[in-house]
Amino acid sequence: MAEDTILADDLIRQLISVGEVDLLVGISSHSNANSANHAFHAIELSFQKNFTRQRAVIVNVRGGDTGGSEVAETSDAGAEEMSAPSARSLRTVHRVTADFSVLPSPGLALRTVMTAADLLRARACAMLSSGTSDLTPDRIANLLAPVFREKFDFVAPLYSRHKFQGLLARNLLYPMSRALFCCGIRELYSDEWAFSGRLAADCLSQDVWHEESIQTRPEAWMAISAISNEFRCCQVFLGQRLQSGTGPGPDIVEVFRHTVGNLFWCMESRQSTWLESKTLESVQTIGPEHELTSGKTDLDPHRIFEMFRNGVAELGPILSTILDPETHAEINNIVACEESAFRFRTDLWVRTLYDFAASYHHSVMNRDHLVQALVPLYRGMTYSFLMEHADSSATELEAVNESLCAEFERQKPYLMEKWKAKIEVKS
Amino acid sequence: MALQKDNLWYKDAIIYQLHVRTFCDSNADGVGDFPGLTQRLDYLKDLGITAIWLLPFFPSPLRDDGYDIADYTCVHASYGSLEDFKTFLEAAHVRGMRIIIEMVLNHTSDQHPWFKEARSSRENPKRDWYVWSQTDLRYEGVPIIFVDTETSNWAWDPVSKSYYWHRFFSHQPDLNFDNPEVLEALWGIMRFWLDLGIDGFRFDAVPYLVEREGTACENLPETHAIIRDLRKRLDLAYPGKMLLAEANNWPVNVRAYFGNGDEFHTAFHFPLMPRMFMSVKLEDRKPIIDIFDQTPEIPDNCQWCIFLRNHDELTLEMVTDIERDYMYDEYAVDKTMRINRGIRRRLAPMMDNDRRRIELLNGLLMSMPGTPIVYYGDEIGMGDNIYLGDRNGVRTPMQWDGDANAGFSAADPERLYSPVISNAVYGYQAINVESQKRSEHSLLRWMKSLIKLRNSFQVFGRGSILFLKPANHRVLAYVRQFGEETVLIVNNLSSSAQAVELDMRRFKGYIPIEMFGRNLFPRFGEAPYLLTLGPYQFYWFQLRRI
Repeated sequence: MAEDTILADDLIRQLISVGEVDLLVGISSHSNANSANHAFHAIELSFQKNFTRQRAVIVNVRGGDTGGSEVAETSDAGAEEMSAPSARSLRTVHRVTADFSVLPSPGLALRTVMTAADLLRARACAMLSSGTSDLTPDRIANLLAPVFREKFDFVAPLYSRHKFQGLLARNLLYPMSRALFCCGIRELYSDEWAFSGRLAADCLSQDVWHEESIQTRPEAWMAISAISNEFRCCQVFLGQRLQSGTGPGPDIVEVFRHTVGNLFWCMESRQSTWLESKTLESVQTIGPEHELTSGKTDLDPHRIFEMFRNGVAELGPILSTILDPETHAEINNIVACEESAFRFRTDLWVRTLYDFAASYHHSVMNRDHLVQALVPLYRGMTYSFLMEHADSSATELEAVNESLCAEFERQKPYLMEKWKAKIEVKS
Repeated sequence: MALQKDNLWYKDAIIYQLHVRTFCDSNADGVGDFPGLTQRLDYLKDLGITAIWLLPFFPSPLRDDGYDIADYTCVHASYGSLEDFKTFLEAAHVRGMRIIIEMVLNHTSDQHPWFKEARSSRENPKRDWYVWSQTDLRYEGVPIIFVDTETSNWAWDPVSKSYYWHRFFSHQPDLNFDNPEVLEALWGIMRFWLDLGIDGFRFDAVPYLVEREGTACENLPETHAIIRDLRKRLDLAYPGKMLLAEANNWPVNVRAYFGNGDEFHTAFHFPLMPRMFMSVKLEDRKPIIDIFDQTPEIPDNCQWCIFLRNHDELTLEMVTDIERDYMYDEYAVDKTMRINRGIRRRLAPMMDNDRRRIELLNGLLMSMPGTPIVYYGDEIGMGDNIYLGDRNGVRTPMQWDGDANAGFSAADPERLYSPVISNAVYGYQAINVESQKRSEHSLLRWMKSLIKLRNSFQVFGRGSILFLKPANHRVLAYVRQFGEETVLIVNNLSSSAQAVELDMRRFKGYIPIEMFGRNLFPRFGEAPYLLTLGPYQFYWFQLRRI
């Protein structure tokens, strides 16, 4: 743990009043976000319903202008006793607030929550997003229970998804992280996960908290840290993926920066782990295995293909800097194909990604730009996937995914070779 | 010391609950008796007790520890004679102690002459003094109280070939209060004892007096009418006497038994008791605060009676299923410790003989609103014997000294009504009055000082209560006020040291004086008042503006 605490005096005073706890749930909320009230209620109900006897606290990491719409917290000391429905609750459920002038980054929010957990000697912790509108008590309990009752150290969520949903996770993040870190966690990037106090203490002791990647998406690093340090990990099925609020979906470039960029950073910060040859240790799944559903999708393959083709054309010089010449040549070959005949082969996709990862490591160019340059190629892969698997069943898709994972495994020596190579950065 | 003339005496009382049989045997027959009890009155006076509640001492087959009465106006031969009782009563009064006796209204023993007559024939004049039926389907759905032993509230009487109603054991037929003769007979019994000089009655099993089809046969308006009638007669003929209700119910239901100050003077606060135990185990004030939030105001002339343990099981009727499971898991892991819906254990063993927790609970008992009742033997930390049947494990002989039979009796040990506790931890050689009298730091000496302190201030018996709710939920703090007296009580419910900040701004300028040592603490100001408390520690502060 860093030598100086990141906790404000007011928060420490609240934590002193709470004392040792069994369960801690952290949420990050905007000061004027009324959705936080829904999250508080769901968490409190979860405690009452599933952890009646346990000592529990909610840590709300809050920031931003209240705009005159302060969420309804009545405690003058900050640590308040919930009022309803108290009949079923044996214990006081505490709610403490860590106030920041601006909305803290996910990394700062997690660090604050983990520091609180460390101080309170919490056994089981969960990190949730206050923005999810259909957070339920059972869902929270499902996350906490493996840590509290079965002594797991890290619990990742697992969702039921449409077969064309979560393609970035399925075609890139999961197979790549699995091949490199022997990490069988399907949802490495999520806004809800659980962890043990033991793991929190271990993470806090690492000197990474100033890193931008940690600030933006700390959860994958935490998972990889857990696996690397041989903490017990599992994933738990939570049903349908929660929808975060309303409005347009996230920008794909931002998503890439925060996930793929983050994974590349994890590869670098944890290179000693994945460069060692390790066998895959399966991660236990609690509940049903990966569940895929079918149905209509609003994806427009033609548009995706056009964006792929235009992007590759526009980024030609950049891609030539990043990719191995052979890989680049093959990409250019497939770009020239008719749309109807276009296919992005699995081996090429894996090689492309490994080229990107190696170039990220060697800093051949601005890393942000490098990650963004991958987006058009991902679109090409997505188009190819949509075309090939329009009629595939869930079982077939699962086999395809396994085969992709195997390809990542097979080509891992290629990555290791490129990673270790001394290269000359082109000016 | 004569009795003080104060019709509200019960508000300031410290009640000591005992069974004559358990306390002291004067004639070496193995059973405690009134002469023996009389000999021990100085002990109770020295302890600071101001009232004694006697469990049933009437002639009885003793199949329910005397609550199965066969004759209401006599003393069971084992306990002495009526003359012995009168001597005891006078001796207690001389020492300033009032006497409360049992009044079992709801039922008699099946050996009572009334029932014998009633069952003798359907035409007998006493027949209608009990509740009879040709079918056991009347009052369907009414809960059975002794679920461990009874399967129905009806029992078949082979003599008169009818069913009779009983809410408790089948050998305890319920009286029929729809017959006015029953009420007159019971009032006659009350007058008998009142004329002798007793100071109050504890009415047993109050909610169950009247039966009506389609109801739970509990807490019915007709029951309240009966109580009001008896109270009116009592106030007219015997002012200053007290009625105490046993109604194991939620406070809002028990509140009805105070009426407009015209039913009971006092009533047990049953739901508070398990929550005190729960709060200490959970290290959280929530259960206590919750139950006080559900406790309504009562008329000025009324009072709650509060207790930690008594002669029955620690009843878990007035808790939720979750709370009951918790209590069982924490306080009665061994299923032998459980009976009906409760736990048959004494205070000290439930606290694992942890002196700090025993003191904390007694501190709560003496400082919370209500009249405290101390169960005999708990003042020295007596243990129990869960291997005795029914609830007899908490009714073993009082442990007076380390001599044979714990100084309770000169009879052969085999002749005692119950074996004395003799294990290494709670046995009479380790736990007894004599040794604790001689030890400056004994529980008995500590209890005596606690009671003395409580008796020095009316605020504990009569004051209002205001719960402070500091952020630290392991600390239970409240202010009690009565006239010029203000006290602040701060309890650490946890097993570890705690810091707490109290908002004492409304008492700005007051100086807290720690009441046991009379030491001054820093004056209250605008800033939160910081206190640190050791494990299970509590402070009683008198607040004074100096």
